[in-house]
Amino acid sequence: MATNDTPLERIARATPDSLAGRVGGLGDRAIAWIFIAPTIVLLLAINIFPLIWTINLSFTNYRANRLTLGSEYVGLRNYERILTDPDIWHNMQVTAHFLFWTIFFQVLIGFALAWLINRNFRGNAFWTTVIVLPMMLSPAVVGNFWTFLYQPQIGLFNYVVSFFTGVDPASFQMIGSVRLAPWAIVIADTWMWTPFVMLICLAGLRSIPGYIYEAAEIDRASKWRQFWTITIPMVLPFLMLAVLFRGIENFKMFDLVVELTSGGPGSTTELASINLKREAFEKWRTGYSSAFAIILFVTVFGLANIYVKALNRVKSR
Amino acid sequence: MTEFLENLARLRRGPWEMVASILIGLGVVMLMQPFALQLFSWSLIVILAGTVMFMIVSHFPD
Amino acid sequence: MSAYSITEPSRRQKWIAGTLVILYALITMAPLAWIFLTGFKSPPDSISYPPKVVFTPTLEGYVNLFTTRSRQTREYLDSLGPARTWYEEIVRKREMVIAGPSKFGERFKNSVIIGFGSTFLSVFLGTLAAYGFSRFKVPLKDDLMFFILSTRMMPPIAVAIPIFLMYRSLGLSDTHLGMILLYTAVNISLAVWLLKGFIDEIPIEYEEAALIDGYTRLQAFYKVVLPQAATGIASTAIFCLIFAWNEYAFALLLTSGTAQTAPPFIPTIIGEGGLDWPAVAAGATLFLLPVLVFTILLRKHLLRGITFGAVRK
Repeated sequence: MATNDTPLERIARATPDSLAGRVGGLGDRAIAWIFIAPTIVLLLAINIFPLIWTINLSFTNYRANRLTLGSEYVGLRNYERILTDPDIWHNMQVTAHFLFWTIFFQVLIGFALAWLINRNFRGNAFWTTVIVLPMMLSPAVVGNFWTFLYQPQIGLFNYVVSFFTGVDPASFQMIGSVRLAPWAIVIADTWMWTPFVMLICLAGLRSIPGYIYEAAEIDRASKWRQFWTITIPMVLPFLMLAVLFRGIENFKMFDLVVELTSGGPGSTTELASINLKREAFEKWRTGYSSAFAIILFVTVFGLANIYVKALNRVKSR
Repeated sequence: MTEFLENLARLRRGPWEMVASILIGLGVVMLMQPFALQLFSWSLIVILAGTVMFMIVSHFPD
Repeated sequence: MSAYSITEPSRRQKWIAGTLVILYALITMAPLAWIFLTGFKSPPDSISYPPKVVFTPTLEGYVNLFTTRSRQTREYLDSLGPARTWYEEIVRKREMVIAGPSKFGERFKNSVIIGFGSTFLSVFLGTLAAYGFSRFKVPLKDDLMFFILSTRMMPPIAVAIPIFLMYRSLGLSDTHLGMILLYTAVNISLAVWLLKGFIDEIPIEYEEAALIDGYTRLQAFYKVVLPQAATGIASTAIFCLIFAWNEYAFALLLTSGTAQTAPPFIPTIIGEGGLDWPAVAAGATLFLLPVLVFTILLRKHLLRGITFGAVRK
């Protein structure tokens, strides 16, 4: 890390005066800009320009499916309507339920797994790789095949549940029932993303130097006490990182859940993004949905600030 | 605690970022809480304020 | 940590930990194994109750995945004479004939084109930018790096509306080029952050030596830095490829025909009387298999990838 402080000056010093002329052609400053500019231009064109356009649209009543009709500025009315709409508020609570329980289970299981893997049993590297596989898969395809696992009667999930509990596998529908559907998406997401939390926790556990435990052992601190005064505080920054990232990702969750339940039954699993997609691409209320998109964006952007702070804290370890 | 307040007064980055983070966190909770529609209505303003504040104070010296 | 360390877990502890982890691994693999098996079942077997673990494997799912079929009368089938190929024979047993290839091959090809195209572009641009950020004094460097990362966090649906409008007026909607540019824009943040981490680790002394030897800055970059960063570039490329391969939201909203990738297509494979589960499972298997292979190749750098290069282990 120390190398990126003032490498320019170091190289400038290392370059003998007699050579400095020949190095020429392009100055360092020019090279730096030529290297960085294409990336910035691309991001401006495909991310920032559309974003500004969205902000602009969010103050209008434009509808993208009616090309002939013009649009007019309606001020903050779109925002006003969204932020007082009980249905959108309901979407946010569905999102909150999903967010809270996925993070809860993923941290619990992920940390436990990391702690177990850190016992360094034989073959732990191999089994870590096996466990990690689900998180690299396509969320949409995962959502799709979980609908198959959740089929009443024929699905593996219902069958396994009935095998262990004796409940008739046809008597409950994970996706079809209002009560169970919010849990169906939590289970599928937990299956997929627990390894993510596990990997980061494992890195945290492995960053704790062994001598700290040895010192604690000499002080006759109990294992329980060591866990709470050494392990947890040392892993916490890593855990924060994992929680924040999962939080951001699940706040804007779309692919997995849309394939799994597409928001149903009713609107019991209709996360914010799913409703947004409906407003924008099925009802074509472009202005209104742009305002909705901006609300989601501002939230994610705020959290991203905190995430990068957490990232830098872990980096300095 | 006194050190925290001192650094706050001296416009240091650390504690101000903490305050901004808490504001953003509060806004996010307001956005998704199931208790009062009023809180939901004001959440965007709070998150926006926290985010803008974060972007400003992250340029304070360490 | 030495084997005799007082903090080393005991043999019994290790045994218990190992058993629990392996148990979890087996449970977590069960859904994947189930999909893999379902791909080799016949449609009646795939929806039987109780779910069948033992069955006669058939390639019907894969045949159905790659073909479209039409139902025919027995007389018509008899008039056709014996089936010429093994896949025709499978289809004939269901009293159907093959009407033509399905769209799966095309969608898979689109995934490959768009995946590799955007990966190449984002790694190319990302390497340049990462080198720039790593080695030069760039004004507002931290802000630019944050700006780049924040584009990754953007909810796809939030920018999809204007991109949809923009592509519609530029004629880029539902084209390979449009999707490649879009996925490059999403992936480039990851590429820059990851590669900056890798390039930061290359000692600057190598370049200093090269400059003293009379290389220009650009020569030093591609003769000294690039070979050193090869592993990093390769693993960044795999990460970008996996992301572009898996992406769903943009593909769903911005493509419909010519440039549609596999993820929005696989769930729509319909057979007679509902979803054709063996065909869907076969499609999922073929689609997920490359990712599994890549993940295994990538295992040493996974942690870096998911934390944007911050945690290096």
